[in-house]
Amino acid sequence: MDTLLSGQLLFAALVSGSLYALVALGLNLVYGTLRLLNIAHGDLVMIGAYTAFWLFTLFAIPPLVSLVIAAALCALLGWAVYAGLFRRMLAKPDLAKRVEANSLILFYGISVILQNLAALAFTSSSRGYQYLDTVLTWQGVSMTGNRLLSLGVATTVCFGTLLFLRFHLFGWGLRAVIQRREAAQVVGVNMNRIQLATICGGFAVAGIAGVLVSMTEQITPFMGFPFTIVAFVVIIIGGLGNIGAGILAGFCLGLVETYGIALTSPGYRSILIYGLFVAVLLIRPEGIFTKAVRS
Amino acid sequence: MKNVSITLGLALAALGVAAPFTGSPYLMGIVFQLAMWIALAQSWSMLSATTGYLSLGHAVFYGVGAYVCVLLTGLIPFEFALIAAAAAAALFAALVGMPVLRVRGPYFVILTYGLSELVRHIVMRIESALGSFGRMLFDVPPIEVLLWWMVGLATLATLGAFVIRHSRFGAGLAAIREDEVAAETVGVPVARLKLLAFIASAAIPGAVGGLALLRTSYFEPAQAFDPVISFTIVTMALVGGTETVRGPILGALGFTLLSEFLWSSLPQLYMIVLGLTLITFILFVPRGLSGLVDSIKGAR
Repeated sequence: MDTLLSGQLLFAALVSGSLYALVALGLNLVYGTLRLLNIAHGDLVMIGAYTAFWLFTLFAIPPLVSLVIAAALCALLGWAVYAGLFRRMLAKPDLAKRVEANSLILFYGISVILQNLAALAFTSSSRGYQYLDTVLTWQGVSMTGNRLLSLGVATTVCFGTLLFLRFHLFGWGLRAVIQRREAAQVVGVNMNRIQLATICGGFAVAGIAGVLVSMTEQITPFMGFPFTIVAFVVIIIGGLGNIGAGILAGFCLGLVETYGIALTSPGYRSILIYGLFVAVLLIRPEGIFTKAVRS
Repeated sequence: MKNVSITLGLALAALGVAAPFTGSPYLMGIVFQLAMWIALAQSWSMLSATTGYLSLGHAVFYGVGAYVCVLLTGLIPFEFALIAAAAAAALFAALVGMPVLRVRGPYFVILTYGLSELVRHIVMRIESALGSFGRMLFDVPPIEVLLWWMVGLATLATLGAFVIRHSRFGAGLAAIREDEVAAETVGVPVARLKLLAFIASAAIPGAVGGLALLRTSYFEPAQAFDPVISFTIVTMALVGGTETVRGPILGALGFTLLSEFLWSSLPQLYMIVLGLTLITFILFVPRGLSGLVDSIKGAR
């Protein structure tokens, strides 16, 4: 019981919760504005993680700097997807219909390609590096610098995005597109600009999350898929396209996961996550579906 | 065109029956793989091609079949174990089908994937709690017998897919694909048809999983429920073409040959080619290899 009430466990829950919130934020933004369930989202986390790993081991560039580079790299990928696929879909309605029906399989294909390209280039062995891993103790809670940094960056990006959406004119437009895309267009919101900016931004956030993961955990080319699943759980709990609730749900999942594992054993982590995932989809299919159909 | 398809089917079946007489283990291995993927892709098409409910979790039926088979091997003759494997997979589909089939579109795709992964992790947990890290099988039937069984399953799946498509049942499923709400309004028993199609598409993969297990004579949950199986099935069926019965056969044929060339030497490259082919076909060749064959014939 003592361990359950300790600050140690709470800290662990907050660190993973903030990371889940961050990964889910990108997925949610992309879904909200483009109606695209990007199943390759976790692989962007993987790309961010490898970017940080190589920059650190080869050039001793600290992860805080890699954050910017990884974000830029993933944003570039977002631009490529938008230019390569969505421009074409806008031009050809029959292509658009086909892609929508198979979008998930399509992105699963992209995901498989990214994973195996990474495995070819970097081998499948897991890698890691040591950065800020000295233990600091505060009020009886021991924490490593990298975890503290991860918590700080993830929380800052999440809440920064929320503030941007609330107070910046562009953020207003973005929220308008999420809520009523036709109405937003009628009142003069530039859909193309918003969609392009969101896909770049959403991908960039995933890259940032990847850099944070690489500081504390071993990375592999196949690390991404569990993150995709986690992000799906989070945004379905929080409500698709509902950015603020999604961030809250991310922290909640961190709490549930950490305390769930503390009560059972680490071997149950995957069962817990996938169980939640299946349960959430089964319990709320109508609610989820009505939103999907309105698009 | 119909004659060509029937000839192709008969030729493949004859190849399967005749392969053991060549005495070449290599040839038998390839034909076994080919028959396995045809059986799986055809079974998948019974639900997913007819109704448009794309399942990305068919590995779960394969895995359940393999698991049941490994538990029963030694207790009862392998023929009965295979039938039990098919029955277990069908039963599993019947149990989860009702809630799962209420979920539509992309959510159905990720739900089936998630369900398959959930079962995989549960079985891994059970096995490690039992202290077993992979089970070896002894006294498995010879490859010839397994091959004939697999060819039988592939034939059964193909005939099943054909019968379903050309029956009243199949017409109902097609109505669900076109417009589920409208189908329900005019009196198609939507929920029942979907459930039956789900069960039908699960049974044969269960037996296939059991056979594949007997072939490798080694059970490991992470492999038996490998999501790559689900992904390969979907890719083969979509690339082959979902509009016809011959589509999944063409897809399975193409990828089995490709994997012979690439899988053993460059598995990652094989997966990349799989992904690229899938994307290309979804974007540019929606009717698959089967449609390509038609258009070449039409142009002539």
